[in-house]
Amino acid sequence: MTLKEKIKTLGNLYGVSGDEFAVAQKAAELLAPYVDKVDIDKFGNVTGYKSCGKEGAKKLLLDAHIDEIGFLVTGITEEGFLHFMGIGVDQRMLPGSTLNVMTKKHGNLLGVVGAVPPHLQAPGENTKSLPIEKLYVDLGMPCEKVKEMVSVGDYMTFTSRAFDLLGDQICGKSFDDRACFCCILHALELLKDKELNVDLIITGTTKEEIGGHGASYRAYCERPDLAVAIDVCHARTDDNLPSDRVQELGGGPVITIGTNSLPRMAKMLMEAARGKEIPFQLSSAPAHTGTNAWSMQIIEEGCATLVVSLPLKYMHSPVEVIKMSDVENTGRLLACLAMDIDRRWQL
Amino acid sequence: MINTITEILKTLCEKDGVAGYEDEVRNTISELAAPYAESMVTDALGNLIVLKKGGNRREKPLVVSAHMDEVGFLVSKITENGMIKFLTVGSIDPRVMIGRKMKVGYKKLPGVISLKAIHLTTPAERKVAPGASSLYIDIGASSKAEAERYVRIGDPCYFDSPFEEFGDMRIKSKAIDDRVGCAVMLALMQKDLPYDTYFVFATNEEIGGSRGAMTAAIRLKPGRFLTIEGTTACDVPEVPLHAQSTTQGLGCVVSIMDKGSVYSRDLLRHFTALADKEGIKWQYRRSANGSTDARGFHSAGSGCKGMGIATPTRYIHCACNVVYKPDIEAVYKMAELFVKEGF
Repeated sequence: MTLKEKIKTLGNLYGVSGDEFAVAQKAAELLAPYVDKVDIDKFGNVTGYKSCGKEGAKKLLLDAHIDEIGFLVTGITEEGFLHFMGIGVDQRMLPGSTLNVMTKKHGNLLGVVGAVPPHLQAPGENTKSLPIEKLYVDLGMPCEKVKEMVSVGDYMTFTSRAFDLLGDQICGKSFDDRACFCCILHALELLKDKELNVDLIITGTTKEEIGGHGASYRAYCERPDLAVAIDVCHARTDDNLPSDRVQELGGGPVITIGTNSLPRMAKMLMEAARGKEIPFQLSSAPAHTGTNAWSMQIIEEGCATLVVSLPLKYMHSPVEVIKMSDVENTGRLLACLAMDIDRRWQL
Repeated sequence: MINTITEILKTLCEKDGVAGYEDEVRNTISELAAPYAESMVTDALGNLIVLKKGGNRREKPLVVSAHMDEVGFLVSKITENGMIKFLTVGSIDPRVMIGRKMKVGYKKLPGVISLKAIHLTTPAERKVAPGASSLYIDIGASSKAEAERYVRIGDPCYFDSPFEEFGDMRIKSKAIDDRVGCAVMLALMQKDLPYDTYFVFATNEEIGGSRGAMTAAIRLKPGRFLTIEGTTACDVPEVPLHAQSTTQGLGCVVSIMDKGSVYSRDLLRHFTALADKEGIKWQYRRSANGSTDARGFHSAGSGCKGMGIATPTRYIHCACNVVYKPDIEAVYKMAELFVKEGF
């Protein structure tokens, strides 16, 4: 499977925060060839271990999350339509789309998010977005049947399947953050047969979109000396304002610098990247980075953290866009980090 | 029969054609109609006019019509950054465009319409629905020159939304309005009919004015006409029955009047009574909004009496039209009654 195929495969799977097991299975399968051992814990976190075989080696943890944003069924109307809520989704993405309803006993069902036809709207109505409470999912079934198959609390996801755009870009759902898991896979590919001075711990963690709980748990278990959160960041789109904090798609991985991505470490990483001529971009973060580095940093006595980001357009939409050169360069940067760590890093 | 219609509908929904660009749809329909056609003509506006021979001649032609075009988009500009600006062909609520996958230009390049990430917006901004003029299609091009290798101003664009069966005998696709009418006509054509019948696959319906139907009507000078449409079903939560216009599961929609036509009361009474006798489910269209190709046939030349029937279609004019198969079957049966009548 090519790197691109791996991203598409993981992106197309369904795994909303709290039920990532299907994604974890596949992620573990993709990770297995590169590591000594893979585990899936009770949270659904995937962990792979690659030992350097040296006594007293420090532990470098590379993390990406495997959950995705989604929706919860909150009610069933007497006509058999579903009320729902979303977390972290722009309500403007939804009218006229399809959602995948994940039932407990009846598998996945296709639902259509209804929209009022133009013929029945008052003038000017279409300049206001429809709040999610006013939207509903149509399963095309009578109420009794819906009630038999769907429960309040069932998850729903976007249905989009990944596809290619021009310029070696790909589009799909859940590239946040499964594309970054694939960046780590690429790094491991580059590190094959290379001698390392650190033990690598690779995690594909759960529940990031609701607070980084999976990563806290793994960091607690693994006690890494340095934990790197690899997550997506906003790439520039045509509707950005000059004040929007965005990076360039195709500009390479983004190294964050700030209290959650330790300045000393970030500088070491930049230096290493320059040495290997890996293109990168910079982002400063005065506090929370919005990544798993935030939760991993304060595990027990604390650990050093770095944030490396993959530029992505239209985050949290069914049509997230990334560029393969960024994925490759992010993988190269992570491999370079794993190779570069020595005494200077003072882990 | 419903399986035949569903299969034809799938084939037709997988083709693309906005007003003026119906070639692909017309070519497919021509192929499907050819074995049953006495003659086929494509006129200057692109209408496909098919004569199906029956057992007997009629004094004046009977015309059954559905439109081939769908709502969609035309490329209006390519920005310096390689983004595709567009105009809509037919009426589309801009709110159903955001987050959708698109087919762009003759090469049907994949593209998307989206918005910058939610994290970069304020709650107040998210309450505003951007107009079509501020949206764009992203095909992944990074410059105008790169985009222009694949796409030109004037190229058509479409929702990329596959035909899927789901739920309880439901179908979801783009362009069901009005490929469903075309599919019913093609199925009807496969039958032995008692009289000669003209089938008009019309162009240019979605832009208003029934210009395709009008010119076909002048050519054929029909004695009676029947239009077969996909029409709005607003049978969704919080909309009372009287405001739903049409309701899925209640069968073939029969129109009384709309903004383009007044349908013949005689025909309407006659055929609904016949439908009752045959056990064909039907319902009135409980709205007088909108307009269909009936306008063209109704008012062209010295005018003509006719009837308008339709399949109730939820979420019309967006990527996911939804229809209920038993309703399509009822439309087929009503159309069959009509063409069997010895006008």
